[in-house]
Amino acid sequence: KALIKVTPLRQEPTGKPITLEGVFAGVRGQAEGRLMQSHPLSLCNTSEDERQDSVFISIVKLESPERQVPQCLSLLEKARLAVKRGAKAVIFDVTDDAGAAVELREALLASGDYLLVVLVQAKDAEVLMGLVNRNEEATVRIEVMVEPPRWPHYD
Amino acid sequence: EVPPSCTRGCELCSEYNGCLKCMPKLFILLERNDIRQIGVCLASCPVGYFGVRNPDMNKCNKCRIENCEDCFSRNFCTKCKEGLYAHKGRCYPSCPDGFSLTNGTTECTS
Repeated sequence: KALIKVTPLRQEPTGKPITLEGVFAGVRGQAEGRLMQSHPLSLCNTSEDERQDSVFISIVKLESPERQVPQCLSLLEKARLAVKRGAKAVIFDVTDDAGAAVELREALLASGDYLLVVLVQAKDAEVLMGLVNRNEEATVRIEVMVEPPRWPHYD
Repeated sequence: EVPPSCTRGCELCSEYNGCLKCMPKLFILLERNDIRQIGVCLASCPVGYFGVRNPDMNKCNKCRIENCEDCFSRNFCTKCKEGLYAHKGRCYPSCPDGFSLTNGTTECTS
């Protein structure tokens, strides 16, 4: 699992970060950067979304397959393109596209790429996309969640 | 009724991504506004962008030519930055040999 710590920039310096959960689609690791939305169509070869100066983490809201949004590239290729443009990690909101999680896991496993891709959904995704919708700048820190040790059962 | 997050001319609208698909003939521009990036539909692309028509989607792409402010296509600049002169779709600090400025313009002609 991934731990996602979100610190809105306009928050009081003493304020605690918002802690959310996600799932690593491929390799697990750590990354930090400004939250930056990427429109699904901006991750196509034809568009040249300019490289960002700052250190950032892309978030992509995937639409439901029924909406038939032009795909242009596979999700793995989209993740690669986002990283090529400078993203430290890519967060996919898969709330409306459960199949995307399977596609990404399989593709990342097969490719062996070292790409930090995190899947979020439901409440956790809503918080992140809420910040995006309100255009609230925030820093996001992705960490590997350390599961508490399960004590062996003593008779 | 078009949801608030989409401009007129949008055929497929998303609460978070703005427009996903524009009506025929319109161009989709992926507009970056701080951390947000939403799709908007335009009849023509704004300054600094050129339109690319495709069967499935018409899109505004950013001009990528050096020192260029506005362009007609990927490789043809129509307006150079201040103090530079246009020649065959490129921008130069001065007109190449054998070419000179056309009166009152920033265009080099032979």
